[in-house]
This record gives sequence, structure tokens and C-alpha cells, in this order.
Amino acid sequence: MSVLKINGKSYTIDADENMPLLWAIRDIAGLTGTKFGCGVAQCGACVVHLDGEAVRSCVTKVSRAQGKQITTIEGLSKNNDHPVQQAWQDIDVPQCGYCHSGQIMSAAVLLRENPNPTDEDIDTAMAGNICRCGTYPRIRKAIHNAAEIQRNSTKS
Amino acid sequence: MTQSRDNDNFSRRSFLKIAGLGGTALCLGLNFISEANAAIIKPHEASLAAIEFNPWIIIDPTGKVTIIDHRAEMGQGSYHSVPQIVAEELEVDLKDINVQFAPGNEKKYGGQVTGGSSTIRGSYKNLLKLSASAREMLTTAAAAAWSVPVSECYAQSGHIIHKPSGKKASYGELALAASKLEAPKEPKLKKISEYKLIRKPLRRIDTAAKTNGSLVFGLDKRIAGLQFASVERDPRFLGKVKSFDASAALNVPGVKKVFKVAMGYYEYKREGVAVIANSTWAALQGRKALKVEWDSSGFEHWSTPDILKKQAELIQTQEGMPLKTQGDPNGLLAKASKKIDVTYQTPYQSHCAMEPLNCIAHHKGDSIEIWGPIQAPGWVQDYVSKQFGVEKEKVLVNMTFLGGGFGRKAMTDYPHEAVAISKEIGTPVQVIWTREDDATLGPFRPGISYRCEGTLENGKIGALKFRMAGQNNDHWRGGKKTEPNRSTSEGFLKPYYESIKNLSISDVLFETSIPTSFWRSVYASTNGFAYESFMDEMAHQAGKDPLDFRRTHLQEERCQKLIDKLEAVSGWKKRKKNEGYGIAITECFETTVGQVVKVSKNPAGGVKIDKVWAVMDCGWYVNPDIIHAQVEGSIVMGIGAATTHQITFRDNVVEQHNFYDYPMPRINEIPPIEVHIMENEADAGGVGEPGLPPLAPALTNAIFDLTGKRIRTLPFSLSEV
Amino acid sequence: MKNPFKINKNIKLKKIAVPVTVLLLTGSLTAFSYNTELTTSTYVKSPDFLEKKKDSVASVKAFEKVYSVLMSPRCMNCHPIGDIPLQGEDSHIHTMQPKRGKDGKGLYAMKCANCHQPENTPGLHAPPGNPNWHLPPADMKMVFEGKTANQLAKQLIDPNQNGHKDMKKLIEHADDGLVLAGWKPAEGLKLPPISHKEFKKAWITWLETGAYAPKQ
Repeated sequence: MSVLKINGKSYTIDADENMPLLWAIRDIAGLTGTKFGCGVAQCGACVVHLDGEAVRSCVTKVSRAQGKQITTIEGLSKNNDHPVQQAWQDIDVPQCGYCHSGQIMSAAVLLRENPNPTDEDIDTAMAGNICRCGTYPRIRKAIHNAAEIQRNSTKS
Repeated sequence: MTQSRDNDNFSRRSFLKIAGLGGTALCLGLNFISEANAAIIKPHEASLAAIEFNPWIIIDPTGKVTIIDHRAEMGQGSYHSVPQIVAEELEVDLKDINVQFAPGNEKKYGGQVTGGSSTIRGSYKNLLKLSASAREMLTTAAAAAWSVPVSECYAQSGHIIHKPSGKKASYGELALAASKLEAPKEPKLKKISEYKLIRKPLRRIDTAAKTNGSLVFGLDKRIAGLQFASVERDPRFLGKVKSFDASAALNVPGVKKVFKVAMGYYEYKREGVAVIANSTWAALQGRKALKVEWDSSGFEHWSTPDILKKQAELIQTQEGMPLKTQGDPNGLLAKASKKIDVTYQTPYQSHCAMEPLNCIAHHKGDSIEIWGPIQAPGWVQDYVSKQFGVEKEKVLVNMTFLGGGFGRKAMTDYPHEAVAISKEIGTPVQVIWTREDDATLGPFRPGISYRCEGTLENGKIGALKFRMAGQNNDHWRGGKKTEPNRSTSEGFLKPYYESIKNLSISDVLFETSIPTSFWRSVYASTNGFAYESFMDEMAHQAGKDPLDFRRTHLQEERCQKLIDKLEAVSGWKKRKKNEGYGIAITECFETTVGQVVKVSKNPAGGVKIDKVWAVMDCGWYVNPDIIHAQVEGSIVMGIGAATTHQITFRDNVVEQHNFYDYPMPRINEIPPIEVHIMENEADAGGVGEPGLPPLAPALTNAIFDLTGKRIRTLPFSLSEV
Repeated sequence: MKNPFKINKNIKLKKIAVPVTVLLLTGSLTAFSYNTELTTSTYVKSPDFLEKKKDSVASVKAFEKVYSVLMSPRCMNCHPIGDIPLQGEDSHIHTMQPKRGKDGKGLYAMKCANCHQPENTPGLHAPPGNPNWHLPPADMKMVFEGKTANQLAKQLIDPNQNGHKDMKKLIEHADDGLVLAGWKPAEGLKLPPISHKEFKKAWITWLETGAYAPKQ
């Protein structure tokens, strides 16, 4: 039995501590925005923030997440308006949308640590997230736009 | 995928008056199959269930407009494009439209297979007409209520307005009166120049739900009492379970039951052992603890080198079955002093949608309910109904959003297996495929070998002879083996038939026990590589510029315009030394796409792709931004297919596993992509798939331009060119 | 991808004091010769009590073993020439190209610990784990990839290139958690060519006998 703090709310997880965080979040906490894509940390569909870092929940055990702040896509912002979410909506980045919870969670960490990323920085930060629909050109554009949204909002 | 269009059969009788939804609603539908079905509707059936009969547009008393989307949304944008069409002619705001997926029912909704890039091209004319009819009926109802001439009234944002007086009534208020009117026979449709929404890059209505995790994909669907299952299937299609030991699996906490199960692929079966548990994780752990022994006898075992060898032998020794013959290509080739005779090879491929296959099923005894990411609900209904002896009407297939499909989710095997498991345990179950299951069990895009022969006459193509040897997807569903694959010419531009007087395209029968099926753009994805590479080889043989050579041979007006555009946007004639440019033009699902790829030497070794330009002529279209996205995505998928992806077999077992050995293109590998759409008023063609086939030949043609090296086998490594 | 042993094939034979033939990891035999006379380390001053232990022949011989371990994928993969780690037995560039970052722990959404857990994740091709998984930092890259035995030996004892380690710290480093992790590879990955016990013994012998660098 463990307690996980997800998006500011406590969840009692009655499961093996070796269970990957992904399945605890999806099947036990019932938050299905975090996706299963490969199970071996290759695709990034399962990225959540663990104390602010973009960990891959498919290989992260529940035991590692205990006592830490877990943020999933559902908790990234209250109104779907994190600069990355806004930018994603502004230019319709997703096609099928399945990988974009992970894409957005990864991009959010990039923008927090580097408010003015270059194309190379975007490659560095985002090469861990696979999109089979091939939305990469738009992901790149949206991250630049999100940086601008973020800069403008901190100015005002 | 199915290339047929829905019948253009507009039925006035299918306008329904239905009491329900807390009042009276105007329901407009059209019967794509036959007039007879519409006659089944009776007013007393007015209820929520009845509303599901064939209505495509429902206007309730509050003015809310509900549109039933008869196709799957798997990224290609039907969930947005269908309402964008309706909103235009109905004169409602897109934000006031609510979209629902239609459950599987081809009697009601017509062809529901989301494939062949057919959603818009197959239904837009009917949707326009239906929407315009509704608008006219609402206008007539308002004019009657106000006792004013219809000509003084117009529709705007869900209201009818009387121009002289400024009187206004909402669609909700008018729905009841309108529903009593006869539908107009020939409603007046807008001209393209009058469109306010269609052909505009409107933002997709499903995007917001894709940025906060709220969108429900198949894997996210939850229903009461749901159990979870994972299945260890025979790595060889057609194999059987010889024996299994479930004792360790049953000791895994949460695991409830372990049993043998089979899933059908048309009339064939794949066996496996299902582990049922109270969570996905427990099911996966239980499956790891299973010990299964397989019986792999009774069918041929193939390895990739044998496939390639056999195909190579067939195209050298067999004439095959001709799909298209004109003139006397054999005669001309026989007496030609100079000819090109080359072979091309393309690999098997896996779909690898980001959402692995999954399905929820509940076998309730005399009825079956299914929820999942499904491209072809009607096919699932048919197949499951037959397999379990349950009436088709009692097999309800509920659609969720799809995390990608690419043709794989049009198969009925995974829903069938889920129903079989639910039947055994008596409760609803969600069957989850791992990435490894999804990538390695097929069905696959078939790998195909081509032999292309050609000769020139006065600098133009005198004769062409194409032969292909590769599996025919139709054979799995009972297609005749005495007939050529009807897709042998897919990808090849029809105007070539006008300019090349001596030509044959034939299919040499080649079969294996490896399951194959549709994969985005289907045979155009492999044919296009062979045929458009060969066109380049002929151009070089003729000493002609490859773009001009195509211009000479494609005398049709739309092709000429497309080539002009491609030349202009890519700067084809202005290219510099040390820049390789390649062109390819293919046709797929009634849309023509030309691409130019620019490559240069990579300082780190090999070549790199610097840019891709694409010009698409899809005729009438809805949302240019969705089209841009589809072409961008097709190019990314095409880059992976050309330079990385290949499923190989050893004794029928796939040698790849997951993204670590079947790696997907990543953001750092993708060049800038520029997309242009040709503006014309021709009938709509497909959008979701036609952007893929030209990429591989345009790329290898560019590499030839840069290095003089002709690549005839896919995939090839960019770093090793 | 990069094969560290290719480098050795180019080594020219010289007049030698102690010829030694080394069985390389690839299984092929390559003539490999050391000249111990000219290469005594001047970087690390040995403590006085070790002075009498100085033995260039024994030192270089011990270093052969050390080198074979350090150049094995389990060690070299995280000591790359560039800023992207290597992966697998063939030491290919890490899929998805994670970058070193200033502290060696990765960048942005691609920090080592995002995938590499405190312990190995079970399953083939799942990320190996260690609580302190990282590359050397950007200001002290400690490159192994492509280094000859001579270059690597000198680098290891140069405080300006080894993380400011003195003899004591160098000796202690044999038991560093991340060094030990090399002997706890994830499923499907090979162990270094000798045991950690043998490695540690060779490491200490090399250092204590004067940390001589092989000629080549």
C-alpha cells in the first residue's frame, strides 16, 4: 500500500511497489491522459513530471514516486492554458493526439529550463518523444510560439 | 482499402421528425444505401434509439446541432472536416456543433471503413446537399411563420433573419415546423467563391481535448466491471497452442484466469493463451510467467532471404497476369537496341500506431457490445456476428478516438479475440496489446519486388513493362488467385497511359503464410517507388531533365499545372552544384501528389535531406491546414519507410521487437517540409494517404542526382550512401 | 559504430623493454607493445611509502587489464568523445541522442534519470539503472572513447583531467557506485572482460607501482 500525490491530490495505491507508475496512474488513479506506448522508455508517451522532471512512468516504479510531487497532463494547468498547451492549440499540433500528452510534458520542462530555446535545444529536449503521425514540424513551431507566449506573460 | 464511394443517393424520405431529446428535433439524414431502408422509419419509433437511425444532423429545440460522424477519427481529421462542411451550408457556427461517432451500422451510415482516404471524397456532396436542404427548410418555416416571402429571409449563425424587419428566429425554435416540410429536391448550393468556412484553415475542434489528456482513446475507455487481459500469441501466424503451463501465472497477484483463445483473420486463425487479471499490470506480469509450447507444423516457414530470392526468380521467369496492357510492349522491347531492365525491392512493414491495439468487449449472451479504436465498425459487426452466431443488429460497435490506425485498425482480429475472451469469463474485458505484439504480429504491408523494363523512341518512352511479385492482400479475404492484384497499377499516374502507347503492368502470383494487409497508401507506397524511380532512370537514359521528362509524358492539364507549381516552389531549375534534387509524382485515391526532395552531402558521412516540397492536387477540399498536416505526416512516415523500416522474418517469426530495433523517425531527423495545394474545382480526392508514396522515389532520385548512385532497394541508410 | 580496438591496429612496433601480447576483447590477437622507460608519470606524486614499490613493468602490465575494462562498452559508453553517450555492445550513439549537459546529467526532458532508474529495469532493452547515472560533466569530460592506453593512463592520473583526484581518491574510485554498476549490467548486456575484484586489484597495482603509462 502506498500513497501517491498526483496533481496535488493523494491517491492510495493498493498494488505491488514494483508496478510501473504508468499503470498506477492509469488503472488505479484513473487518470488516462498519460499513455502507454512502448513500455521500455523509447517513445515518451508516458512522460509525467516527478518533482518537476520529465520521467518516463512506464519504467518508473511506484516506490520511486512515493513522497514526490507527480504531475500528469491533467494537472499541467487548470484551464488547459499552460503556454505549451496554448501554443499546441493555436497551430493544431496534434493529429491523432495519442503521443501529445508526453510531448507537452517534455516541452514544458524544456521551456522552464530554457525560456528561449533554439532549434537545436528543441531537438535535444524532444528527440525522446516519438510521434507516428509525424507532427514534428509543428511541435518545433509550437515550442517557439510557446516560448513567446511565456515571455509575454512574464512581462505583463 | 476500399476504393468505392458511398452511393450518391439522396433521399428526401430520410428527413425525420422525431420527438425525443426532451422535445422535438429536426433530424436530417440521408440514406446512402437504398431508398428501402429509409422506409423502415416510423414516427412512433421516435426515441433516442430511433434517432440513431440514419440521422446525420440533429437540431434540438435549444438549437444545439449534433452531427453524427460516420467515420473513425485517427488523426486525419474527419471529426473536424465533416462538421466544417455541414456548418458551411447549414449556416451554423462550428462551435455550436456537437459531434458524435456513429456506431457500426453500414445499413444506416453507408460504408464506414475509414480507409482509402475516402471520408470526404465519399460523402461531401451528400453532406453539402443535406445541410443546404436543412437550411432551406428552416428558412421556409420562418417565412411561413412571419408570412413573408422566403426570398426576404436568410440564414446566419443558427438563425433565420427577415432582412427588411430584422426579425430573427433560432433554428431550435423553427425545428419542429421545418421538420413537417418536404425537403427541397435540389437545394441551392454555394459556389466555392462564396464559402466562408470550407477551404479555410479553421482550427480543429478536437485539439483542445488532445492537450489536456481528456480525449478518450480506446485504451482509455473504462466501463463498469472491466477486467484486463493480455494474450501470449503464437509468434507464427497459423501456429497452434500445443500445451501451456499456467501455474506460475496464476500465482501472480491479481491474475484470475488463464485459458486458450483464438482470433480470426478472415478464415484463418491465430492461437494464443489469455491471462485475465484485475489490472493491466497484473495481466502483463501473469503473461510473463506463462510457459507455452507451440505447434508450428502444417504451414510453410519463410525467411526474408527466401522471400527475396523467390520474388527475384519469379519476376525474371514469369510473365504474370496482366492488369493493364496496351500496344505491343513485348515486341518493342524485343527489337530495342537499347533498353533498361532493372529490379526494385521493397520491404515488409509494420504499422506501429502510437496507440497499441486494444479492444473492450462484453459478450452478454444474446448480444455483444464492443468499444475500441476501430477503423471499420461495420466489418467488425459482420465478422463478430458470424463467429458468435449473434444477430448483426445485436452486435453494437462503439467508436472511440484512435491513437493512429494506418490500416491496421481496419482488421477484425483484435475485436474478435476480445469478444472470445469476454465470452469465456462472462464480464467485460479490455485486451491490451504490448508494443511488441503490435509491431511483430502483423498483418504487414507486403514487401514487393518489381522488374521494370523500358525503351526509348525519339527521346520519349517507347515501351514500358512492369511486373511485380508480392503478396496480394485480397487473397486473405478470398480474392481469386487467377486474377491479377487490382492494385498493381496503384500509384502510377493515369495520364501516362495516354503518352506511353506500348505498356503492360502485370502481377506475378507470390504467396506466403505471412499475413498482409493495408498499410497507409497501400500498394501505392511500394509501386510508387519502383515506377517513379524507373521514370527517373528513363529520363537519364534519354538525357532529359527528370522534371521536364515527366512534363512531356503527362500531358493532362492538372498534371501540367502541378508540375509547373512544383518546379516554381522548389526552385528546381535554380539548384546549385552540390545539391541533389529529385522529383516523383504519384496518384493515390484520386489525388495526385508531386514531391521534390533536396539532399546534400552530410559532413558526418552519407547524405542528409535538406528539404521536401510537396504539391497536392486533391480537387475540392475542406480544410487546407488539415491537408498540410496530413502531407507533413505522410512525408515523415515516408522517410521512416524509405530509410529505416523493414520487418524481416526468420521461419515466419519477426526479427524486430519494439522501437529500439524498429526505430521511428524523431524530431531531430526531420527536414523542413513545405506543402502546397492546387486550387481547382474538380471532384475531391483523398488526403490522408496520397502524400506518402512520392517521398521514397523523390529521395532516391535526389541521391542519384547528387551522387550518381541509384538506390533500388528499400530501406537504405542515409548515413551509408 | 566506433570500435575502440581499431585504434590499436595502427600501433607501430618499437624497440621494447617488455613485449606483451594482449588478448583483445574482440578475440583477435594484435601485437601490442610497451616501452616503459620514457613514460613514467609526472602527474601524480606517489606518497613516499610507495616509492619503494615503484615497478614500471608491473605497473604497465596491470594497466593492460585496467584498459581492457575501461574500453569495454560498460565503461566507455558513458565516456564518449562527443556529448552523446553510447549504447549497446557495438557502442552506437544512444538512440534519441540525449546530451551531456553541464553537470553530465542530461538536459531538459532528456535527463539520464528520467529513464535510468535507481536500479535496472527488468526486461531486454529496458534502461539499465543506478541511483547516480550520469556522464562526466562538461568541464571534465574524461573521454575514454578513442583513447590509446598511453593517452588514457596519462589522463587518468592528471588531476586537471580526472576530476581533481589524488592518489587516494583514485584508489577509492575503484569502489565508486557507478564504476561498480558496470558489473551489474541490465538484461542482455555483457559484463566487462574481468571481474570487479580483478579490476580493482589491477587498478590499485597500477597506481601503487607508479601509475606508469604504456608507451602507446
